Amino acid sequence: MKNLFKSRLLFLTVAMLMLALVVACSSDDDNSDDKASNDSGSSDGEISGDLEIQYFVGGYGDSWWKEVIADFQEEYPDVNIIEHAGPNINEEMRSRWVSNDPPDVVYIDGAGSSETQMVEDGQLMNLTEWVEGIELDNGDKLVDSFIVEPGKFDGEIFSLPLVFDTWGTWYNKNLVGDGGYEVPTDFESFMSSMEAIKDGEGIDPFVTTGQHPYYFLRGMLYPAFGAAGGNELLADLITGQEGAWTSDTVLDIMKRVERMQKEGMIDSGVGALNHTQSQMNFLLGDNAFIPVGFWLPNEMANDIPEDFEFGFIPSPMQAEGEPYAIVPDLRPLAIAEEAENPEAAKAFVEFAFTREYAMSFSEHTGAIMNITGVDLTENDNVPGYLTEANAMINDPEQVQIYEKPHPMSADLETPISDALISLMLGNMTAEEFVEEAEKAAAQYRGE
Amino acid sequence: MVQSKKQKYMFLAFCLIPTFIMFAIFTLYPLFSGLYYSFFDWSGSSQNKEFVGLSNYIKLISDEIIPRTIIHDYFLVVTKVIGIMILAMFFAVALTQLRIKEAPFYRIVFFFPNIMSVVVIGILWTFIYNPSLGLINSGLEFLGLESWTRPWLGDENWALPSLVLPSIWAGIGLFMLMLMGGIANVSKSYYEAAEIDGANEWQQFWKVTLPLVWPQIKISVLYIVITTLNGSFIIVQVMTGGGPNNSTHVMGSYLYQQAFVQYNFGYGATIGVMILIISLITVLVLQFFMRRDKVEY
Repeated sequence: MKNLFKSRLLFLTVAMLMLALVVACSSDDDNSDDKASNDSGSSDGEISGDLEIQYFVGGYGDSWWKEVIADFQEEYPDVNIIEHAGPNINEEMRSRWVSNDPPDVVYIDGAGSSETQMVEDGQLMNLTEWVEGIELDNGDKLVDSFIVEPGKFDGEIFSLPLVFDTWGTWYNKNLVGDGGYEVPTDFESFMSSMEAIKDGEGIDPFVTTGQHPYYFLRGMLYPAFGAAGGNELLADLITGQEGAWTSDTVLDIMKRVERMQKEGMIDSGVGALNHTQSQMNFLLGDNAFIPVGFWLPNEMANDIPEDFEFGFIPSPMQAEGEPYAIVPDLRPLAIAEEAENPEAAKAFVEFAFTREYAMSFSEHTGAIMNITGVDLTENDNVPGYLTEANAMINDPEQVQIYEKPHPMSADLETPISDALISLMLGNMTAEEFVEEAEKAAAQYRGE
Repeated sequence: MVQSKKQKYMFLAFCLIPTFIMFAIFTLYPLFSGLYYSFFDWSGSSQNKEFVGLSNYIKLISDEIIPRTIIHDYFLVVTKVIGIMILAMFFAVALTQLRIKEAPFYRIVFFFPNIMSVVVIGILWTFIYNPSLGLINSGLEFLGLESWTRPWLGDENWALPSLVLPSIWAGIGLFMLMLMGGIANVSKSYYEAAEIDGANEWQQFWKVTLPLVWPQIKISVLYIVITTLNGSFIIVQVMTGGGPNNSTHVMGSYLYQQAFVQYNFGYGATIGVMILIISLITVLVLQFFMRRDKVEY
């Protein structure tokens, strides 16, 4: 009897403790119950209920998002918008995605997010058919109005490219343009310009972040690959096709990188620098060229010396006489496969893609939204480098746009980046690099 | 009042059950779920996971980076144990035996890094090692040793040795205090006796101090080994991110890269299992080699 009592007491203690824990952990479940009851409104064709939007806030800030969301709220007063935003939002929301309770709309950008991975995991809604029906204000079809078409996975569309980001080479305008040095137009002129700067200014002209070698890969090599082998080569390299990395075209380009290293054009400290440090060195005039995306001026806004002027060109890695090449990096907007309020999600996505918001995007962020027919030249609120770059990008004589099928998987990009930094430090030859890259591609294909 | 048996058990249950539940939730559950996930191909960011049996373990064996990470870990373990123990012992003896007036001040100064977060230490030293602005390169240039300057953390050969210095700097204080505690417990009469017998200070250190603080030394070494194997990834992650070209990756940072950068959570869990096994073996081997009867005079 005594024993029975003892064990009961033990059981009671355990049970109470478990109960306390369950109660502590269950607040999320309560919310989802509420949500289910609220969402019922969407079934009758009306847009209502909760709409959860996840967006990463990085170099471009969040003011554009606030504007669009406020306007959407005004248009659809029955919708209760829940924002999940911030610089670490991808990490913070990960548990929601893992537990199949994702937000409705997601803007895929920043550390910890991977569109490729999300598609491979079946987390994004297939938008192929739906997007065909979307029209802009003037009746243009949205699918025909993208600067760069949506990335396709086996021919299907899972996300709509919202931000037209592009990597390119920034140069110190006071130093290069006004200092009497030539603004590079192709690889040879890039080398001669860097040589002149090295001799004249006594600095290593080129810098990038060695801690994240993908800045160089995406910023310098993708355009070089595009210029030399077009979309086809780019696709073969990104999907790791057999023999693509060891092809003569790629080896030729990697020899250019080797030459930059051997002739001392790359900052000797490159291996140690993270992206902020490399950008800081550039702003302080320790270097003249740096490959970064459009977001650089926004990201470094607080650290820009007063008289500093940015110049932007597509990375000049192409052979003599060829136009510049750019390979845009698109930051897409997508709807979750498991979205609880897909109607409102679709309404929001459709709402955001307008020329009016494209214009205000450039004003807010100094970058470009992925919609054609937006004239930035008349707008004084848009920074000068952007107007120039925009004009250049829209002139096919000067710049060719190449498209990659989708971002490179981290499983392939990581080993290639590792070998790339060795090449840039002079510890590996171009031949060794392409062998390493081919090996990485073989491993990637095998998975 | 004599406690009844029931009261005794109640009290024991009251003390043990909450602890056990916490232990189960925060230690046993992650341990076993790590083991469980190591048999799956899982990205860690969705619910799709596929059972793949031992294929993560096969991948682990054929992964060329894994042996390098293990070597890097042990390089840090060995250099840290030697560096920290020698310096901590030196400072402990100096501060207790040499009757320095400013001893309390030094005690605080040496302990100071221990109250700083490892992340802060990592960032601080990244600035010290900065190729153009850093203290070390500027110092070398000031001394006329330009040829010695290099991008310490950006050099494939020097990056790993460069991580040793901040790790030692950050570790000395705690172990110095532990050893000082040990030395303070040694009765002065032993030293007096040794002195009468004609032992010089060096002999006193080897024959009296060292044997009597052996338990503290043993615990310190074990602690350094375990924290290095489990925790060196923080300083690697902050200072180099494992680069350049994997030359500083330790097991923990490689696990992080696989699980959270390359989205191979299952494989990351497999590396975790490997770290557990290697740490256990290391500690057992150390226990064996460092067994030494407790000395009493």
